[in-house]
Amino acid sequence: MANQTDYKKVLSSSPRITKVSFFGRVGAVIRQHFQQIFSSFTELWKTPFATLMTILVLGVALSLPSVFHVLYKNAERVSAQWDSASEISLFLKKDISEPRVQVLINKLSMYDDIDSVTYISRHQALEEFKEMSGFSKALNYLDENPLPAVLVVTPAKQAMNTAGSKLLVAKLKREQDIDLVRVDVDWIEKLQAILSLVVDIVIGIAILLLLSVLLIVSNTIRLNILNQRPEIEVMKLVGATNSFIQRPFLYVGAWYGLLGGTIAWFLTFSLVQWLQSGVMDLMGLYQVQFQISLMSFAESAIMIAVATFLGFIASYISVKQYLVRIEPK
Amino acid sequence: MILFEEVSKIYAGNYAALKQVDFHLKQGEMAFLTGHSGSGKSTLLKLISLMERPTTGRIVLNGNDISNIKGNDIPYLRRHIGMIFQDHRLLMNRSVLENVGLPLLIEGYSRYEIKRRSLAALDKVGLSGKEDYAPIHLSGGEQQRVGIARAIINQPPLLLADEPTGNLDPKLSLEILSLFESLNEFGMSVLIATHDLGLIAKMRYRTLTLKDGAMINDGLMRERNG
Repeated sequence: MANQTDYKKVLSSSPRITKVSFFGRVGAVIRQHFQQIFSSFTELWKTPFATLMTILVLGVALSLPSVFHVLYKNAERVSAQWDSASEISLFLKKDISEPRVQVLINKLSMYDDIDSVTYISRHQALEEFKEMSGFSKALNYLDENPLPAVLVVTPAKQAMNTAGSKLLVAKLKREQDIDLVRVDVDWIEKLQAILSLVVDIVIGIAILLLLSVLLIVSNTIRLNILNQRPEIEVMKLVGATNSFIQRPFLYVGAWYGLLGGTIAWFLTFSLVQWLQSGVMDLMGLYQVQFQISLMSFAESAIMIAVATFLGFIASYISVKQYLVRIEPK
Repeated sequence: MILFEEVSKIYAGNYAALKQVDFHLKQGEMAFLTGHSGSGKSTLLKLISLMERPTTGRIVLNGNDISNIKGNDIPYLRRHIGMIFQDHRLLMNRSVLENVGLPLLIEGYSRYEIKRRSLAALDKVGLSGKEDYAPIHLSGGEQQRVGIARAIINQPPLLLADEPTGNLDPKLSLEILSLFESLNEFGMSVLIATHDLGLIAKMRYRTLTLKDGAMINDGLMRERNG
């Protein structure tokens, strides 16, 4: 009985003895991973309608936070443009002399939070007003120029935000020669408050939608596991480890995430492109040149990677919850 | 090969499926396990294949005490046991070749080796040329042969068969048992659970008889009318 010797080879005190060499096993694990990655993709399309429905649902769920992200990113750009255009007008006292104005300009120019100071004399102010108002003849009848001299201050970058502007205004108000400080920060403040609220809402919605993605994938994988229970039992009976059996399910979850993420990217791109002309028309009314910024390559890659990871995690939850517990009967 | 020392299995509700069972199946030995329904045959096979754990006693398999084996080691141990079931337990969505090659795929053999050895195993059980069939298109006897080919493909030292002829006619049953005999001749230990006493008597092998979970007989069984 020559083959009896072969059988003896497999008898050992360790149940982990295997007839495949170490390198053979390493190679096999790598090979199995690749095979299971591709076979799990093929597996998806054995039920094309269900798969398509699942990835479309994932795509829609993931596209909403990404569309919100793109909209927020652009809203922030717009508000930054308006914010940076803000200037502070300082109306000087009427009786201030030209040398004192010069001293004040020099003093203000030395402030760290002031980028530039432009002086508009009383005469220049009146000329500008005449030109703009169309009452030049009427204004000629005035005994004296009623307009004060104005210093137009452009804040430095660090003082362009609401808090910085407020601080600067407070400092300027303390100057003796300045009669009135006018800066319209209220609307910027309101806009930023609205944006901040929108961000909070978007984060809340995004968390809920990402949670729904987890639940959708997790439930789909759970159903797959339950459908394949007999097959899982047989595989366990012939010596398959849990990791061997669970790998295809994990890959299926990752595929769902990857495909859902890709659809979400496509939906986001299409939706933003569709909004582009409308937004440009609207911005044109405010004489602002604005081009909607789409998702960058890095943002797109992150979104698809996050979706893939979510799919994997969702699948992992189901696998740990259901597959590991299945034992042959 | 298999050593049972005072093994008992008590299920919930204090139901004793096995009571203080002792036996030793040597390497290369073939034996029948018989008894009425509910006598404990399936429980005994489940204990050997680690589908169940004993409540008390000690089970040694291939030199390993499996009574308290770690869960992670179970799959590796099962690779040394060929299991054949009455209901065949084939994967109906896979071809005959894929079913037979499954244990090798799990163990990490190359595709070429899996195909080569699967075809050889199918040839051994007389199913050459049916490798691309779906199991559903095979007869009961052929499906049982696919199950046998799968069980022997990685040359396990032990073959367990649970009612392997339960759904087969007498002629096919004898053919299947002849196949087990030939495998046993190559050094494989074979333990066959069956309640077909006529068949056991014809084959004249060691027979372990269970009744209400207790081992009541261990020896040869004679043909009733002979």
